[in-house]
Amino acid sequence: MSALKRKRGGKGPGGKAKKVKLVENGNKPQTTEMEQNKEITVPPPVDITTWTNWRNKERVLVFSSRGINFRTRHLMQDLRTMMPHTKADTKMDRKDKLFVINEVCEIKNCNKCLFFEAKKKQDLYMWVANVPHGPSAKFLVQNVHTLAELKMTGNCLKGSRPLLSFDPQFDTEPHYALLKELFIQTFSTPQYHPRSQPFVDHVFTFTITDNRIWFRNYQIIEEDASMVEIGPRFVLNLIKIFQGSFGGPTLFENPHFESPNTHRRVIRMATASRLREKQMVKELQKLKRTENKEAVTRDVTDDVFATPAEERPVHIELEAPAAKVVKKNKHKAFKRQRKQNR
Amino acid sequence: MVFGPQNHCLYPIILVNNTMDIIEDDEQLGETSEQDSELSDGELQDAFAKGLLKPGLNFTTQEPKKIVNNVEGLKQCLADFRKNTLPWIERLDMVNLPADDIVAKSEGRLDNKASEDINPDDDFQREMFFYRQAQEAVLEAMPRLLKLKIATKRPEDYFAEMAKSDQQMQKIRKKLITKQIMMEKSEKAKKLREQRKYGKKVQVEVIQKRQREKKAMMSSVKRYQKGMTDKLDFLEGDQKTAKGGAGKGSGGQTPDKKAMNKKGPNAKRKYKDQRFGFGGKKSGTKWNTKDSHNDVSGFRAKVAHGKGGKGGKGGKAGPGGRGPAKGGAKRLGKNARKKMKGRS
Repeated sequence: MSALKRKRGGKGPGGKAKKVKLVENGNKPQTTEMEQNKEITVPPPVDITTWTNWRNKERVLVFSSRGINFRTRHLMQDLRTMMPHTKADTKMDRKDKLFVINEVCEIKNCNKCLFFEAKKKQDLYMWVANVPHGPSAKFLVQNVHTLAELKMTGNCLKGSRPLLSFDPQFDTEPHYALLKELFIQTFSTPQYHPRSQPFVDHVFTFTITDNRIWFRNYQIIEEDASMVEIGPRFVLNLIKIFQGSFGGPTLFENPHFESPNTHRRVIRMATASRLREKQMVKELQKLKRTENKEAVTRDVTDDVFATPAEERPVHIELEAPAAKVVKKNKHKAFKRQRKQNR
Repeated sequence: MVFGPQNHCLYPIILVNNTMDIIEDDEQLGETSEQDSELSDGELQDAFAKGLLKPGLNFTTQEPKKIVNNVEGLKQCLADFRKNTLPWIERLDMVNLPADDIVAKSEGRLDNKASEDINPDDDFQREMFFYRQAQEAVLEAMPRLLKLKIATKRPEDYFAEMAKSDQQMQKIRKKLITKQIMMEKSEKAKKLREQRKYGKKVQVEVIQKRQREKKAMMSSVKRYQKGMTDKLDFLEGDQKTAKGGAGKGSGGQTPDKKAMNKKGPNAKRKYKDQRFGFGGKKSGTKWNTKDSHNDVSGFRAKVAHGKGGKGGKGGKAGPGGRGPAKGGAKRLGKNARKKMKGRS
C-alpha cells in the first residue's frame, strides 16, 4: 500500500510550478486510513486491489533533437502531461545516426518512441516508431498549439485515460490502417497504469482532411457529449512509412507531400517570375518607343462611304441684311404703376 | 541520361534507364529506353535501324519518380504489429463519422458527412467537424464504458492533480470574463448611440410639430382678424382635442381671448389696415407715391413753423405723437432728445 502511495505521489514533468494549490492525489483510500481511527468508513471510489492488474506494458519515450524552439518544447511537455506512460530523455545530438535511438529506447525500457526533430529552426518533424522491430513513420508537424494557450479552456485529470476517435478513412487505405494501429498503441494509456486516473474524461480525435492528419483533444463535460477543447493540437503531414524502426525499407511514400524547402522555393520562384514578367513588359515597351514609326498617310479606305453632296448654285449677297426689329412689350405697364392701381 | 521532351517540345522522346536493359515504355508515343549515357553513333544507328528511334530531334529528360506504395508489405507489417490479445478496454479506440449537425438539419442544409467534403480552409466548418466526430465517439462509447463499469464522471469530492494548474485556469477565466465585459460594453455603447440618434430625431420632430402648430394658429388668427372667417373654431378645436386628450384644456385663457376678438380691432389698427393693407408682403406700400407726395392735406402751417402750442396740439386730431417734454417748444432734435432721456 505504501509503495503504491509513493508511486502515486507522482513525479510531475519538469517545468510545472510546484506551488500548486491542489491536494495532490487526495484519494479516498488515504482518508479512510485516517478515518478508520475515528471508526468511520467511507468506501473508496476505486477499488485499489484491482490495480495490480497492470498488464499492458507500453512505455513511450518522448524526446527531441537539438535546435527545437519553445513551442516544440511545450508540445513535448504537454504530451507527457497527457500520457502518463511516457518517459523523457535528454536531447539527442545531431551527429548521431537515427538508429541510435533504438538503443536509447532499449536502455530506458521503452517500446514506443515519439522523436521530434527540428531542422533549420523552422521545420518540425516527428517520428512515431515501435522500437525493436516494428514500423515507424515520419511526419511533418504544422500548426502547433499548446496546452497553455488561453483559448484552450478545457481541463482534465492528469493522467486520465483518453478515448481515441478515428476517421473512417483510416480503415480504407492500408497505410492509414497501419498508422491507426501505431497511434492506438502509442497514445492509449494502459489500464491500471500506476500513474493513471481511473476516469475517462477526454477524447483524442484523429481526422484525415486535405491529405493530413489533424489531432485534437477535447474534455468531456457532460454525459450528453458537450465538450471543450483542452489542447494541444497539431497537424501531421505524412512523409514516409518504414518497415523497421528508424530505418529499413520504405513501405509507403506520401505522393501529396511537398517538403517545406520545395514549398518555400515555389513561393520564391513565383514572386521572381512575376518580377521578371514585369521587367520584360517594360523592356518591350521601351523597344516599341524607340522603333521608327512610319507616318500614317492617307488611308485608302477613308472615302469608301463618302457620298458627295448635291451642287448648289452660288448665291452672292449684294445688299446688307435687314436689321432685326426689336419688339418692346408695350402692353405691360410699369411695375410701380401696376402696383398703384391695385 | 534520358531523352525526352523539354519545355513542351513535341518531338518524340527516348527514355533511358540507368539499368542496361532496353525497355519499351509506350509504343504509341514512340518512347523507348536505351543504353547508357555515352550513346555512340554506332549505337544510335543501330537503334534507328531497329525502329526504336523516330526521325526528328530527340531530347533528354528525367525519368518520372516512382512513389513507393508497398501494399502487401504494409498489410504484412500490420498483421505482425497488431496486438490481437488486447481487449477493447485497453485501447479505447472508436471509428466514427461525426454526429448529426443539428443546426444544419434544422436549416435544411445538406449534411456532408465525409471528411473529404469539408473545406480545410474554412476554419469554423473544419473545427465543427472535429467536434462532432468527438461527440459521436463519446455517445457511442458511453454505454460500452458503463457496461465495463468505467466511470467518466468523477465524484464531487475527488481531488486530484489536473493537467492544467489552478493558476492557468484562473488566467483563462479572467480572459473570458474580460472578453465578455468588452462585448457588453460595446453593446451598451452601440445602444446608447442608437438612443441618442433616436432621441435627436424625436426632439427634432417635436420641435417641428410645435412650429407647425404655431404657424397654423397664427394664420387662423390672422384670418379671423382680417375678417375672412368669423368663426373661432380653431381655438375650440384646440380646446376640444386638449380636453379629449387630457381632460383639461387651457380653459382659463380662451374666453378672454374670445371677448377681445369680439370687440374687433381698435381704431389705430383699423387706420393702419386701411392705409397699409392686411399684412402680407412689404411691397413698397409705405413709400411715397406721386399722389401721396402731392397731398398736402396734412399740412398745418402753425405746427410746421412751431407756433402751434399745447392747445393747438391738443385740438388737432392727428396721428401725432406726444408733445415735447417742456411745454410748447418745437420738437427737439435726436441728440437733444437722447440727452433728455438720459437725464430724466
